[in-house]
Amino acid sequence: MISQVFILSSKGDHLIYKDFRGEATTDAINVFYQMVTALPGDQPPVVMTREGLHFIHIRQGGLYCVATTTTNASPFTIIEFLNRLAALIKDYCGSLSEKSVRMNFALIYEMLDEMLDYGYIQTTSTDILKNFIQTEAVSSKPFSLFDLSNVGLFGAETQQSRVTPSASASRPIMSSRGDQVRKNEIFVDVVERLTVVIGANGVLMKVDIQGEIKVKCYLPTCSEMRIGLNEEFSVGKSQQRGYGAAVRVDECNFHQAVRLDEFDSYRILKICPSQGEQTVMQYQLCDDLPSAPPFQLFPTVERDKSDRLLIYLKLRCDLPPKSMSQELSSPDQRAELQPSSKAVHWEISRFPGGAQLSALFKLEVPGLSAASLLEVGPVSMSFELPKHTCTGLQIRFLRLTPVQPNPSPRWVRYVTHSDSYTIRI
Amino acid sequence: MTDSKYFTTTKKGEIFELKAELNSDKKEKKKEAVKKVIASMTVGKDVSALFPDVVNCMQTDNLELKKLVYLYLMNYAKSQPDMAIMAVNTFVKDCEDPNPLIRALAVRTMGCIRVDKITEYLCEPLRKCLKDEDPYVRKTAAVCVAKLHDINAQLVEDQGFLDTLKDLISDSNPMVVANAVAALSEIAESHPNSNLLDLNPQTINKLLTALNECTEWGQIFILDCLANYMPRDDRESQSICERVTPRLSHANSAVVLSAVKVLMKFMEMLPKDLDYYGTLLKKLAPPLVTLLSAEPELQYVALRNINLIVQKRPEILKHEMKVFFVKYNDPIYVKLEKLDIMIRLASQANIAQVLAELKEYATEVDVDFVRKAVRAIGRCAIKVEQSAERCVSTLLDLIQTKVNYVVQEAIVVIKDIFRKYPNKYESVIATLCENLDSLDEPEARAAMIWIVGEYAERIDNADELLESFLEGFHDESTQVQLQLLTAIVKLFLKKPTETQELVQQVLSLATQDSDNPDLRDRGYIYWRLLSTDPVAAKEVVLAEKPLISEETDLIEPTLLEELICHIGTLASVYHKPPSAFVEGSRGVQHKRLPPRSGSGESTESPEVGQPGGTGPEATPAVIPSQSDLLGDLLNLDLGPPASGSVPAPTSGMQMGAVDLLGSGLDTLMGDDSEPLGGDIGGSPAMGAGFAGAPAVMPASLNAPVGGGLGDLFDLGSSMGMTTGAYVAPKSVWLPAMKAKGLEISGTFSRRAGVIQMELSLTNKAMSIMTDFAIQFNRNSFGLAPAGPLQVLTPLSPNQTIEVSLPLNNVGPVMKMEPLNNLQVAVKNNIDVFYFSCQYPISILFVEDGKMERQVFLATWKDITGENEAQFQIKDCHINSDAASNKLQSSNMFTIAKRIVDGQDMLYQSMKLSNGIWVLAELRLQAGSPNYTLSLKCRAPEVSQYVFQYYETVLKN
Repeated sequence: MISQVFILSSKGDHLIYKDFRGEATTDAINVFYQMVTALPGDQPPVVMTREGLHFIHIRQGGLYCVATTTTNASPFTIIEFLNRLAALIKDYCGSLSEKSVRMNFALIYEMLDEMLDYGYIQTTSTDILKNFIQTEAVSSKPFSLFDLSNVGLFGAETQQSRVTPSASASRPIMSSRGDQVRKNEIFVDVVERLTVVIGANGVLMKVDIQGEIKVKCYLPTCSEMRIGLNEEFSVGKSQQRGYGAAVRVDECNFHQAVRLDEFDSYRILKICPSQGEQTVMQYQLCDDLPSAPPFQLFPTVERDKSDRLLIYLKLRCDLPPKSMSQELSSPDQRAELQPSSKAVHWEISRFPGGAQLSALFKLEVPGLSAASLLEVGPVSMSFELPKHTCTGLQIRFLRLTPVQPNPSPRWVRYVTHSDSYTIRI
Repeated sequence: MTDSKYFTTTKKGEIFELKAELNSDKKEKKKEAVKKVIASMTVGKDVSALFPDVVNCMQTDNLELKKLVYLYLMNYAKSQPDMAIMAVNTFVKDCEDPNPLIRALAVRTMGCIRVDKITEYLCEPLRKCLKDEDPYVRKTAAVCVAKLHDINAQLVEDQGFLDTLKDLISDSNPMVVANAVAALSEIAESHPNSNLLDLNPQTINKLLTALNECTEWGQIFILDCLANYMPRDDRESQSICERVTPRLSHANSAVVLSAVKVLMKFMEMLPKDLDYYGTLLKKLAPPLVTLLSAEPELQYVALRNINLIVQKRPEILKHEMKVFFVKYNDPIYVKLEKLDIMIRLASQANIAQVLAELKEYATEVDVDFVRKAVRAIGRCAIKVEQSAERCVSTLLDLIQTKVNYVVQEAIVVIKDIFRKYPNKYESVIATLCENLDSLDEPEARAAMIWIVGEYAERIDNADELLESFLEGFHDESTQVQLQLLTAIVKLFLKKPTETQELVQQVLSLATQDSDNPDLRDRGYIYWRLLSTDPVAAKEVVLAEKPLISEETDLIEPTLLEELICHIGTLASVYHKPPSAFVEGSRGVQHKRLPPRSGSGESTESPEVGQPGGTGPEATPAVIPSQSDLLGDLLNLDLGPPASGSVPAPTSGMQMGAVDLLGSGLDTLMGDDSEPLGGDIGGSPAMGAGFAGAPAVMPASLNAPVGGGLGDLFDLGSSMGMTTGAYVAPKSVWLPAMKAKGLEISGTFSRRAGVIQMELSLTNKAMSIMTDFAIQFNRNSFGLAPAGPLQVLTPLSPNQTIEVSLPLNNVGPVMKMEPLNNLQVAVKNNIDVFYFSCQYPISILFVEDGKMERQVFLATWKDITGENEAQFQIKDCHINSDAASNKLQSSNMFTIAKRIVDGQDMLYQSMKLSNGIWVLAELRLQAGSPNYTLSLKCRAPEVSQYVFQYYETVLKN
């Protein structure tokens, strides 16, 4: 049972504070802030306790969303709840930031009132909430198509991509001020996160893909949406893959609103999306990648005569050429030695498919010995592959029934991120 | 215009301005004003002075404004109880409003106003709302009962709200059911015996039906409630499991974990041979794996839970090792948890993979993580015996990197590996010694010193090494000082001639120049021990150590069971029972897993808990902490004794041992001994230490006490490692000149019913020896090696290795002359060598050789005189009780004792491993050093060898 919920800015300002059970005082906010800022690096910050009060928090958008409890509550419930709260604030206020929270505090209090009663979670669904919410959201800035500063896939928080069709994915779902025309958009994002470990001998040691299909819906009412996946889509480890372009995943699970009656035979997901963002399907695939991993690295590490460490890296992208970027000009690169993390940072802003890049790093290392060579490595890569899924999952079609009077724009976007792409030396 | 302007800083007279605005006629203005008030409230400003003005705004049709006013009320009603009464009328009126939103809002807010006076006004509206036609109002009212109960429990009972609440469990709306369950569960926790949540098959059925219909959050309430139910039999348990299993694929991790909790608990009741049990095990793995793709916060919480599940049922995740491999971008706290689980899952099947990973981790940048990875390699070596050799070589590779903290961690774990596998990997000691100078952490220094002390006889310059540490003795930490003291004493006992000065130096440093009581006392004990009885000192200090246990940090089984019942809660993250961190009565009842029923499986499943068990005082550290002084002194771990590897000493021996030290101290300390002796005798550490020590043999300590340190030099190598029974010192069986440089000396012993051939192999040649093997010729009692000769590391020149070769007696039989002769062939990479040796007959005496009195009498009479042999044992100085004790430890049992004409008559029996009984009568004449032994046996040829053994034991 949640005792209090509060939201703090990164500087510790109180943005939202609501007490549900009268078990703890407002001092808890300051106690929390002191604890979280004074935490030593090796301590897990997720669950903290002080004098019988337990703090569970998440950090999103530079804000601390915190819940406290005095009972033996479930941290899963609380973390899931806080994540939903953050997502709902994003849905209702357009973005999650100190500014948007300050501007919409009355709305957030109202939401909290409906979401939690006496610390029991009541609902986190926009469909139900919209029946109760009276306050209107205030958008941080009037929406403009030309304002590209906050371009980004909502599913992908870290990296930016210019392939996003518009900035419209980050605006409040229920704003009634203007924009009536563009209101009826639907976004379907297929986001995959790729974890790869390639051994020193070039052997693929571990591959792991976590994927999700997210829907963000701006339609005020939508009776049913049908999402068609690849027809050859199969689930489970045991099934044999034929020669065709079958798409296989190990495990998948679905949002509870998804109806699967046509899934088994036609690979169609049926859902009546509520307004806002929801993860319709999550899936994962381990060890059995349908194609080669997108990047191969050929490293050489040696010591030259003047005891300098030579690291020679040859990087090749194994994706088909056109799948990557628009231009094939030589990519701009930067490299930098970061002494604090004992790493060399090599940045390549754009990497065409099928291309190959080489780099030679010469490092002066005091007291370099033969044994030091053993310490070099591994290479970790982070990248984003737009318009590409490693599992090969595709959205065949996206249909709305009944057919809307004025056709609404539907966007389907694919992206693969590196979650942890490691090549050992 | 946005709301953020309300947060602008306080101006003078702001309260006054707000007051005016609140009383404005315009609704818009009022609303803006209330918003400003709430904004001030949030940042912590006191706006309670505006209470009456805000309450005045309450009567409005505007729902948005009403909600804001209620928000204010909830916050300030407690501090202004009298004013709060003003609001009651409006609340009561609102509870009758045609709009269900307003009715629910009113009843919800009223419950949150924690003022006693309001509660009496709350009852009537609440009663109506509990029966409201709108489910939204009913579910709000259900929660309100819990709120009211918290303020005034008696009132809730008197008004009969609890019964109404129970009725709501059967409500048609799943949301109402979920809230009613949640409210009842909470109320029930404060009345542990009330049986409020009367869970029976009917209500369970209703809950399971509601489970499929309600929201994810409602599902959590219901699943948590189900977890408290105790099914009547395994069939019911299975049917509940079947209906809960679909929740495992829910996208909300909290639902998944609550389902896992129910399943883990009810699974306990399912018979293990049931097909469904296996199916269920398989279904549990994927959802747990899926949790690891969530945000780091959830991952961390999930890993803490998986850690528990893996300890309880390792089979669930045994094939999923790879998902616990660390990603480079995991936060450190996730990495450390994953590492822990990797070790728990490590087994022979996946150890190669795990080691390869750990080796990679050991070269990462993060120091904490690297340290833990190195330690993990050591834990793998201890856990999976087959991997030990690989682990050791991996650790040596890591030591080659010369990275300071890696070297230090590696040395700490290598010490543990030495403990676990004695006499196997000592060849690496030289490499370790090279890194002596780089050690700057106390734990690593202490570990290194321990190694030097323990293997002093194999390190040529052990005295120099230890002396170098001694220079800065007073700057070392206590841990290092204590280890250094013990190590030097060990060194002295092993190489007495060269190190007398050193030991005197350390003893005086410890006793005279130190003000640390632990160090000083230990110094004194060693000093007195050495000066009083060096033989005893040797047996105490160099006693054989029990093996260390395989798994460290295991959670105690009863705690684990309780934590399994709390999966998915804070308890599972802290790994502490809820009573340890939840105040008051809530949730303090200890939960237990249900007993297993069904197909006669009464014992706990073997994978649960450790054999030997982990006592509450178990210390995960392998070097005992300083407080465990006594244990440490004896160089024993106070942790759980290693699983089954240590023969339990008989109680007689234990008593003897305790007594020994007690009385020894008495005489040592003279008059001052009282408190110290008493302390030691009474401390649990003492008991634990001795319980784990089979080594101290009381009888041998009664040997004549020589005078002081000088006497020690006579010892030479004459004292073998004693275990319970008398063991002859090692004698040279194969001289080096006969075997191209290989010298073998050895002796035989019987430990815990297993015959051991104790061998010392010394390489006196110039080249390395490898590939040792051993074979016996046929012999009288069919002795044969029970396993290969374990010499895994090459024997380098001038190195000695100690090997214990367990023997059995199922080999081919051929009568030898003499009867106890054994012909042995030893092979190494150079040649094959033959030698013969003779074993004492006592190693064949089995543990159940104690005859019944009546049988003894009958047998004695039955065996004729020609099968009787009489012997004289001369020059024996030992009384009959001591003799009886001594013989007993060699499985020679005293059946009866009689005193006839001032003579002590001992009647004894023993049984050979091939079933031959030997009966003995030992006659002791008080005052005379000559004993008479009569032996009766149906196979008289053994009598001579039995007599020989009597003579050896009684004279030693």
